[in-house]
Amino acid sequence: MERSFKKEVELLRLRGGATFHGEGILAVTKALLQSGVSYIGGYQGAPVSHLVDVLADAKDILDELGVHFQPAANEAGAAAMLGASINYPLRGAVTWKSTVGTNVASDALSNVASAGVKGGALIIIGEDYGEGASIIQERSHAFAMKSQIWLLDPRPNLPTIVDMVEKGFQLSEASNTPVMLELRIRACHVHGSFVTKDNRAPQFSRNHVIETPDYDYSRICLPPSTYAQEKHKIDVRWPAAVKFIRDNRLNETFAGRHDDIGIVLQGGMYNTVVRALQQLGLADAFGDCEVPLYVMNVTYPMVPDEVTEFCAGKRAVLVVEEGQPAYIEQAVNAMLRKADLNTTVVGKDVLPMAGEYTGEVVLTGVTRFVEGAVPRGLDLAQVSAAFEQLTAPKRRAVEHLGAPVPARPPGFCVGCPERPVFSAMKIVQKELGPLHVSADIGCHTFSTLPPFNIGNTVLGYGLGLASSTGVAPAFGKRVISVMGDGGFWHNGLSTGVSSAVFNKNDSVLVIMKNGYTSATGTQNIPSSGRNAHNERVDMAIENALKGVGVKWLKTIRTYNIGTMVRALREAMTTREPGLKVIVADGECQLERQRRIRPLNAKALAAGERVVRTRFGVDEDVCTGDHSCIRLSGCPSLTVKPSSDPLKTDPVAHVNNGCVGCGVCGEVAHAAVLCPSFYKADIVQNPTWFDRMLHRIRQRVIGYLGGAPTGAAAT
Amino acid sequence: MSDQPARPVTVLIAALGGEGGGVLADWLVDAAAAEDFPVQSTSIPGVAQRTGATTYYIEIFPARADTLGGRRPVFALTPSPGNIDVMVASELIEAGRAMQNGYVSPERTTLVASTHRIYAIAEKIAMGDGRYDAHAVTRAADQLAKWAVLYDFARLAQQTGSVINAVLFGAIASTGALPFGRAACEAAIRRSGKGVEASLRGFAAGFACARGELAPAAGRAAAPRAADPVEIVRQSFPPQTHAIIEEGVRRVTDYQDDDYARLYLERLTPILTVDRHGAQSEYKLTNATARHLALWMSYEDVIRVAALKTRTSRIARVRDEIGAKTHEPVVVVEFLKPGVEELCAVLPAALGSRVLAFARKRGLTDRFNVGLHVKTTTVTGFLLLRTMARLKPWRRRTARFAEEQALIGRWLDAVERCAARDPAAAIEIAECARLIKGYGETHRRGLRNFNLIFESLADRRADAAAIKQAREAALADPEGDALDKTLAALAGSLSPSHGLPAVDPCIFEGSGEQASSPSGDVARAARG
Repeated sequence: MERSFKKEVELLRLRGGATFHGEGILAVTKALLQSGVSYIGGYQGAPVSHLVDVLADAKDILDELGVHFQPAANEAGAAAMLGASINYPLRGAVTWKSTVGTNVASDALSNVASAGVKGGALIIIGEDYGEGASIIQERSHAFAMKSQIWLLDPRPNLPTIVDMVEKGFQLSEASNTPVMLELRIRACHVHGSFVTKDNRAPQFSRNHVIETPDYDYSRICLPPSTYAQEKHKIDVRWPAAVKFIRDNRLNETFAGRHDDIGIVLQGGMYNTVVRALQQLGLADAFGDCEVPLYVMNVTYPMVPDEVTEFCAGKRAVLVVEEGQPAYIEQAVNAMLRKADLNTTVVGKDVLPMAGEYTGEVVLTGVTRFVEGAVPRGLDLAQVSAAFEQLTAPKRRAVEHLGAPVPARPPGFCVGCPERPVFSAMKIVQKELGPLHVSADIGCHTFSTLPPFNIGNTVLGYGLGLASSTGVAPAFGKRVISVMGDGGFWHNGLSTGVSSAVFNKNDSVLVIMKNGYTSATGTQNIPSSGRNAHNERVDMAIENALKGVGVKWLKTIRTYNIGTMVRALREAMTTREPGLKVIVADGECQLERQRRIRPLNAKALAAGERVVRTRFGVDEDVCTGDHSCIRLSGCPSLTVKPSSDPLKTDPVAHVNNGCVGCGVCGEVAHAAVLCPSFYKADIVQNPTWFDRMLHRIRQRVIGYLGGAPTGAAAT
Repeated sequence: MSDQPARPVTVLIAALGGEGGGVLADWLVDAAAAEDFPVQSTSIPGVAQRTGATTYYIEIFPARADTLGGRRPVFALTPSPGNIDVMVASELIEAGRAMQNGYVSPERTTLVASTHRIYAIAEKIAMGDGRYDAHAVTRAADQLAKWAVLYDFARLAQQTGSVINAVLFGAIASTGALPFGRAACEAAIRRSGKGVEASLRGFAAGFACARGELAPAAGRAAAPRAADPVEIVRQSFPPQTHAIIEEGVRRVTDYQDDDYARLYLERLTPILTVDRHGAQSEYKLTNATARHLALWMSYEDVIRVAALKTRTSRIARVRDEIGAKTHEPVVVVEFLKPGVEELCAVLPAALGSRVLAFARKRGLTDRFNVGLHVKTTTVTGFLLLRTMARLKPWRRRTARFAEEQALIGRWLDAVERCAARDPAAAIEIAECARLIKGYGETHRRGLRNFNLIFESLADRRADAAAIKQAREAALADPEGDALDKTLAALAGSLSPSHGLPAVDPCIFEGSGEQASSPSGDVARAARG
């Protein structure tokens, strides 16, 4: 795993009355234990990976409490775990990245929502929206609405988040309905503190087993139960939820001096809205606002009475609702109409319909709202002046900088084993012409960015091969699909490979076998060799492929670019029909370095011989064309100003980040680029033989007119 | 509570993955918490950290929590324009990005930024020079920040054996923009427990630096070069050209011999003669031609590469670059892949040109490359390359030599003729030599682009702007699409309707590929 959570695990042990200092998503984990959960499941993905990761390191605590933790094969598997809460009073929580994970989970989610739950069922949703997001931009709200799952969007501070986890279970049980807790990226990673409670052992668990299974046909998702379940949702569960939310004051109202206007907002937007008001001189540092706020920590279902009470007597309210469609704004309008209230509802007309509501966006929206609404007794000139002063530097920067600074898209890490596969593809394309490549989700999706620009479509995790089946017949030559080992085990084996073999698809699949789900923090997968609890498992991708009938199968070490080029060429041109699979084998370099660095340091300290490999560029041989960079993009292969007064173009340069993977040299070789690259093996703690050999070589080379190498190996 | 601070102190850290931005944020949080100041930090890890740019945002309320009467400040999770007290950038362009996003304001922001560059992919993949103008960032910083502390903190970190985050921490602390002092910061580093000594060293260096206790980063000192005056240069060329021409003489002498250097100067003399306005323009034409001529005359063939890779100073430079300690043996492996072109380059002219022509005709140019991993630190490997380098005198008889000299002659001729008519255009033609560089396919592509521009513009009396535009287009993409489009567009403007003759009567003789079509298809036709 990318990070060890040994230190954080101790936070999970805190007893009542202590202060927890740490990350938002870890506070949620602690809150789950405080709520007496029986089981926790999930599928990793930013920004909720740490919830899964910390539990993988927390086996002792979970065993003491009797809590079952299991990283699922995919989000559908995680969601299906909630089935435990349908018949039994077992509290459970599952987590994943939304909306992509929610998409995968939706089959199980619909079923659990329809059957209803006895034990509290909580779904922790990492809302990957806006800055730093790596997925399609949608909101999870629609999922809650379509399945009648309640949606919590707490104010992003640790005490509120923790409280909403605990209240979420109660709400779920009070209304027999699963509940989603939505946390945005920054809320997951916010560092703050809260006062803890004791962990609670669940009523039933492996330590206290259930004696008899419960059979109840009304809980089965088959007609006529399903009809009854739908009615039950509307007639019983929904009103129960609204009542619980109201009685327990899950939503909050803050009064303000300018009570002829107000702001209705999602809980997650609270801090941003308060900051905007502070900047305009309409709030103090502690959140005392001059404009009244109605903060919805529960965004679905809404509580019509609360909305109308807040809006009554106001000329205008602003709805701050991130994302689209504007479900909340529409609902507020409908509620006011039904209550025959004339309050003007402002929302997506001063705030953007799409995109993240950052500080700047909300500041602009709130300013426009206040300027338009003209609250009684407010000096608008002051507000406008403050806004002007805040936003002026950005305009001035554009003038001073001239051209926009270059973007820094994410890319393959130094020494990444996936880079050479795309270098090879680029070389093969030179021979065979441009190819259609069905890309997939994972680190390898970076192939779609410069310098490779390889990959024509991305359809979803593990769907690379499946997404090629419609388009492949339309090409005169084969198409290539890419799939990571994470995607392969997530669903690619069944959705892609089995289907392609079954349908006798004639195409080429490259599976990136780097050993982990690297993009989400290098969690273990079936082919890692060990599971999340570090127990040995024996599941190989190749065996799975052979098992489903793949005949043309080659496993190739990714750094051998020449071999990879030949394999791709053969896969593309062989007469053999059916699916041709190349397993591109190379361990995630992040994980590899994490493993070997301490070992090397230890060996060095012990005086053992260690060879360090680095690559370099001969500056006077390099002509500054940068073809090598266009075929690599390695962060450590960069440019530097030429020290040759005659050459003005910068020359290629390998910086100290180099881990010696050799791709730059191999690329220069395979693509016949230039002779500038060299590989240097530095022998640390040389043996007497190393030293003697070195001395002899130096002596002879010196005699031949070469360098007195300056290295006095003694 | 009117005596309470009105707002939190906000710190935004812009960093790249692996620079320890998260650790810096943790130090700040820990230092604030130790003072009992309410504090919050947020970040956006995940995919953004895979080599991309990322930010860490910290808000510190500068009053002890126990003085707040149970009230808690509301902290923002996202930074807002115009609302940043301390902007930290671990790299220069990230400072530019911060300004671009409005995070640096003259009323509030102390900007602490490292001036070193880590080039973005778009800057690196350019075929020529794609680097962003760093001066624009430093100029803007001086204008936009309340106080800008700009220094090569990466180098300072390296010098002190520390990491840039610790150095930046020291620099921030010394600006006084944080609500706690040096001791609190150093205590936070100590509590973190990892690499404490190195971090404290870096912190101290950064602290001293921002206070101006260190000399400002010196500009890159010109590499000391052996004073090797060439009398002809001194006597026959104006002083404004000596720097480049002397360097050129050294280069071609090293490349071949004294005779070759004399040829270099003979070739430059007519250019100087036509550079009539030279004195007013710092001899721009002569200098540009001299620079490119020296590079062209020292084109890289296997003999040259072998010589460069076996020269005495090389292994020392390699050892320095890879950071090998003096007692550590180093094995250097060269990645060579000579093929038909490289072989022909050392064959006698008659034979070489015939073999090459055959290979090109059959598309076999790239078919017979032999991958070699030559260890230049072993006796046999060194001997192999050294022997190759010793073929230098033979070079004059090779096919490649003849080919290059012909091309050079044609180029110089065009520069000279054009200078008489349009000095600005002559400079642009001279600069076109920049396109020919690299090895193998890269070299062929450069040559093809060069010829295209030559035939469709330079030979047809195009003006300076057009030639420049085409040259830049040639450097825009490796496939040559931009050049094709540009030439097609320019060819239209060169049509006879604009009163320009379609064909320059003074194009050099002997080219079988004269572009005579006035239509917009010139580019493609000449290429096809």
